[in-house]
Amino acid sequence: MQIQLTVNKKLHTLELKGNETLLEVLRDQLGLTGTKTSCQESECGACTVIIKGKSILSCITLAANLDGQEIRTIEGLAEGDNLHPVQKAFIEHGSSQCGFCIPGMIMSSTALLEKNHNPTQSEIEYALDGNICRCAGYPKIIEAVRQAGHEMDQGA
Amino acid sequence: MLLNHLTLHTPKTTLEAARLFKELEDIKVLAGGTFLLNSLKLLKTKGTKTSKNILSLAKVDDLKGVSVDSNNLTIKAMTTITELFESPFLVDNFEILRKVCRNISTTPIRNMATFGGNLTCRYTWTEMPSLMIALDATLFFMTPEGKTTSISAEDFFKNNARSEYLFTHAVIAQDAQARLVYRRVRKMSDVDQPLLSLCVKTSLNNNLWTKTRVVINSGIAFAQRDYKVEEFLNDKISSSDLGLKAMDNLTNAIYDTRSSEYKQHMFRISIQRAIEEICKSN
Repeated sequence: MQIQLTVNKKLHTLELKGNETLLEVLRDQLGLTGTKTSCQESECGACTVIIKGKSILSCITLAANLDGQEIRTIEGLAEGDNLHPVQKAFIEHGSSQCGFCIPGMIMSSTALLEKNHNPTQSEIEYALDGNICRCAGYPKIIEAVRQAGHEMDQGA
Repeated sequence: MLLNHLTLHTPKTTLEAARLFKELEDIKVLAGGTFLLNSLKLLKTKGTKTSKNILSLAKVDDLKGVSVDSNNLTIKAMTTITELFESPFLVDNFEILRKVCRNISTTPIRNMATFGGNLTCRYTWTEMPSLMIALDATLFFMTPEGKTTSISAEDFFKNNARSEYLFTHAVIAQDAQARLVYRRVRKMSDVDQPLLSLCVKTSLNNNLWTKTRVVINSGIAFAQRDYKVEEFLNDKISSSDLGLKAMDNLTNAIYDTRSSEYKQHMFRISIQRAIEEICKSN
């Protein structure tokens, strides 16, 4: 079947069998490997992307089911050389250790901050409850989210 | 490939979906996909055959939304848990539903999982069944001819959550006198699977318990009412020791079946505390 997906503002026409997950299409067909393959059973959040402003797990999403939709991945956050405020804040706070969970963390944080620039500690924890960091680097991640929100608020 | 070959069907209307649901053989319904996709992947890794036809409801717009009409709350099947939680119609009158939605799994799962999927997926441990039984919800289904049939949530789960027709929506009558408490004990597990959950509802009339429902979800069997303790509670006046007294009136068979001592203990504590919470709230 043929479907159209807009990924990071770029329209793609794809020929699919129907059984491909969005994760497989992003990585294997579109070469967008920033979205990570990890647990592949909706537990870790490493494969998080944004659809309609909400964090979605691409490992349990059928790509063919998204015909006509817009998808944002980690590659779509920066504008040219200008990193997204969430990306900048993660770098400035040293929020990345092994880094594997970070794309998913950033996508979930972005989905939160685009709705709420000044989340409380519990709102941040709640929004990131589907993202697991095996290095347990949560404090730095939460600090970065708070700072990014502050910057997005000032830039708004 | 994580999944076996499948044929994806994407109807755009409820009637089209209801027809396909009846006509296609070897079929699974895809709502939010949070149960189904993992299940299909797991079966593939085990070398087990998986369903050939997948009926996606994602494009059926008339299966989405929450509304209030006179005194009834209507929740359509494809409403996500996040959408349900964020619905203004739940504020004040159905706070219990918001509380339950808020505690389901994780944010991305809540963004994907649907009310209908949670209710009719046939996993015994999901959140909505006990709540819908306690709220005396009516569940509606569409036949392939476009006719609507309905059944009470309680009877639906007595029938092992099976239906030959497509689930479309649930309707809950508003009850200003109703007091509800939902409790859940989480199992330490890779997935957010409650060890047990329960919902206690009563309509307080001058401190008198009436129309009480105590709905138990053991995680092993489908959610069910404990009629014995309900009978004990009805016509009782709220008091600080009502929860404790109720403990001698439980239908033990519901709690003892394949349950560990810890689980039985947690059921007793949870029911007692739920009753006490309602008594205190008055």
